[in-house]
Amino acid sequence: MRASDGRTVGRSDGMLVLAGALLLSISPTVRLSGQDTSRISEAQIVLSALVESYGVSGAEGPVRETVKRLLPAWVKTDTDSAGNLWVRLGQGDPVVVFVAHLDEIGFLVDSILGDGTLTLRARGGFFHSLFEGQAALVHTARGDVPGVFLPRDSAFTRHTPPPLRVDVGAGTRAAALALGVTAGSTVTMLKQYLRLAGTRATGRSFDDRVGDAAQILALRHLDRTKLKHTVIFIWSTREEIGLEGAAAAAAALGTTPRRVHAIDTFVSADSPLERPNFAVAPLGRGAVARAADNSAITPPAYVDSLVAVAQARHIAFQVGTTNGGNDGSTFTPYGVPDVALGWPLRYSHSPVEVVDLRDVASLADLVQALVEIW
Amino acid sequence: MALIKRARWLRGYGAKCPWVIGGLLAAYPLSRLAAQGTEGLAGLATRFAAFTAVSGYEQAVTDSLVALLPGSTRDRAGNVVLTLGVGRGGPKRLAVCPLDEPGYVVGNITDDGYLTLRRVGRSPSTPAAPAWALFDQQLEGQRVTLFGRKGPVPGVVAVKSVHLQRGRPAAAEQPFTVDDAYVDVGAATRDEARALGLEVLAPVALTKRPLRYGSGLIAAPSAGRRSACAALAAAALAQPQVRGTVVVAFTVQSLQSSDAGLSSVKRLLGPFDQVSVADVPAKFPGTAVETVALSDVAGAMRKLVEWIGGGR
Repeated sequence: MRASDGRTVGRSDGMLVLAGALLLSISPTVRLSGQDTSRISEAQIVLSALVESYGVSGAEGPVRETVKRLLPAWVKTDTDSAGNLWVRLGQGDPVVVFVAHLDEIGFLVDSILGDGTLTLRARGGFFHSLFEGQAALVHTARGDVPGVFLPRDSAFTRHTPPPLRVDVGAGTRAAALALGVTAGSTVTMLKQYLRLAGTRATGRSFDDRVGDAAQILALRHLDRTKLKHTVIFIWSTREEIGLEGAAAAAAALGTTPRRVHAIDTFVSADSPLERPNFAVAPLGRGAVARAADNSAITPPAYVDSLVAVAQARHIAFQVGTTNGGNDGSTFTPYGVPDVALGWPLRYSHSPVEVVDLRDVASLADLVQALVEIW
Repeated sequence: MALIKRARWLRGYGAKCPWVIGGLLAAYPLSRLAAQGTEGLAGLATRFAAFTAVSGYEQAVTDSLVALLPGSTRDRAGNVVLTLGVGRGGPKRLAVCPLDEPGYVVGNITDDGYLTLRRVGRSPSTPAAPAWALFDQQLEGQRVTLFGRKGPVPGVVAVKSVHLQRGRPAAAEQPFTVDDAYVDVGAATRDEARALGLEVLAPVALTKRPLRYGSGLIAAPSAGRRSACAALAAAALAQPQVRGTVVVAFTVQSLQSSDAGLSSVKRLLGPFDQVSVADVPAKFPGTAVETVALSDVAGAMRKLVEWIGGGR
């Protein structure tokens, strides 16, 4: 989901040692999921693959390929000139669109300084302090280059850091170039999907890989005999920098769609650090109607219909209002109602976003139900 | 990236078979390290950088060290000591490295399953100047590991959602402190957190994921002092010539005001004619990306081998 305020905030012995080092280096346990239901297990498999793919806005290729790999074999995909991935199902009116975005926040390399360090330009809105003094990954055509986001001078103690730079240990501009780093390379942190207690999980870019996963899971379980009209699934690009991919798709479809469902994060106030005066959608209590945000308002009758569909299928569902913009809002100028859906997320646009996998499964079930019975 | 994939596999395996870690360390043959040269030392330095040893709660690491260093023991203060040249008489010398790191312990568990923290390794009443003024801020929005009674538990430190700050007055520019830290382990109640083996006093630290980058660089929290300990361990494993008697000590609680570990070694095994403290220079000290050069680790090891043999 777009942060719409734009805030920038000796081989065998060696291997033995290495094995020991690696065992010790990653101390938290990965929780066994033997007690998971099949729904939770499948959601985790799909979501973890998406979360561990990298795709800063404008460089979504790896994520798009992961989506294609996870889709059922019968699905035919197309990629448009904006980089959006399309799947078209069924025939006839009404045309209903679902859209989830592929991209994630991060940086672009702006320039390479003489000492080989990289100046950066942010892609999307987030607190830069969360990247300061952390491991960095520079994504180049020749592979990922590890480095560090340089910590500031110790004496400068306000919360927000000065403009961040990355050091890949090159020492000179020429050496950095020799590693494949160029102006325009994207930069992120190392990502890892990690299971927490119960059905909770953490990682970076759950926004909007959960939306991507929900659309994939819905397609996997879809009863195609129940399709009575045209349905288009879109995995869009460049949402975090201004809904650009979705805007191209909306322009291409014009006034044709009857409605659009943006499938994107519901940023939840379910945290000790947030005020509970709105955005109250606790984790674990199901998918959420994003009935009002900073980009669109769902017509109340459509919210009632969502509730009815969820009740008909016994799907855990909440209704709320939160902040941010969504891809569906690019369709509204064409007279297409935006009926946005999400799931509750803690700590948005941070390296440690937290979800409840039950909510992911609920969202997928709801998308499937909307295709089949609405 | 292949290394990362291997790490994932090993992590899962290690979680199911924690004995594998001890077994690998114990089975590692003495004196092979020197034969492996720089890459062997790099492996050892990386492994040490992955240790978590919050000051006063170093036992898991000292267990590993005792397994790694044949003949070593843990004294009653918790230090790991190994005597080289037993029975050779004087001079009696001490080669030492402090093992511990600043960190946190669980201070409380809230009704809704969050854990709050107390800093250790720096006295709250008379805080020593941290190596980096924003030490606590490094917790915000990052992964941590809690070491509970049932083993390590992954958690994250809560951070405000950027979206929900829109339209609100700009946040104060005060740095994040430990008092702002709420650790989320996925528990929804205090009882769920306790069921994970978490109680007040469980040690907590940033999750260690040592990063190799550039040309022979390692980045990790406390990489400098851990690399110094790796150099000392490597020197001891290299079976060097020994002049007189040399006690090799990996000390605990160096960050407490009493420097309890080193003081104990001196009183229990001293007096010593000479003391050498292992040291490796580090960039970005006190940060999560404290960086050492493997060439400096190798240099420190060579110096220690020479010193143990009687050189200056």
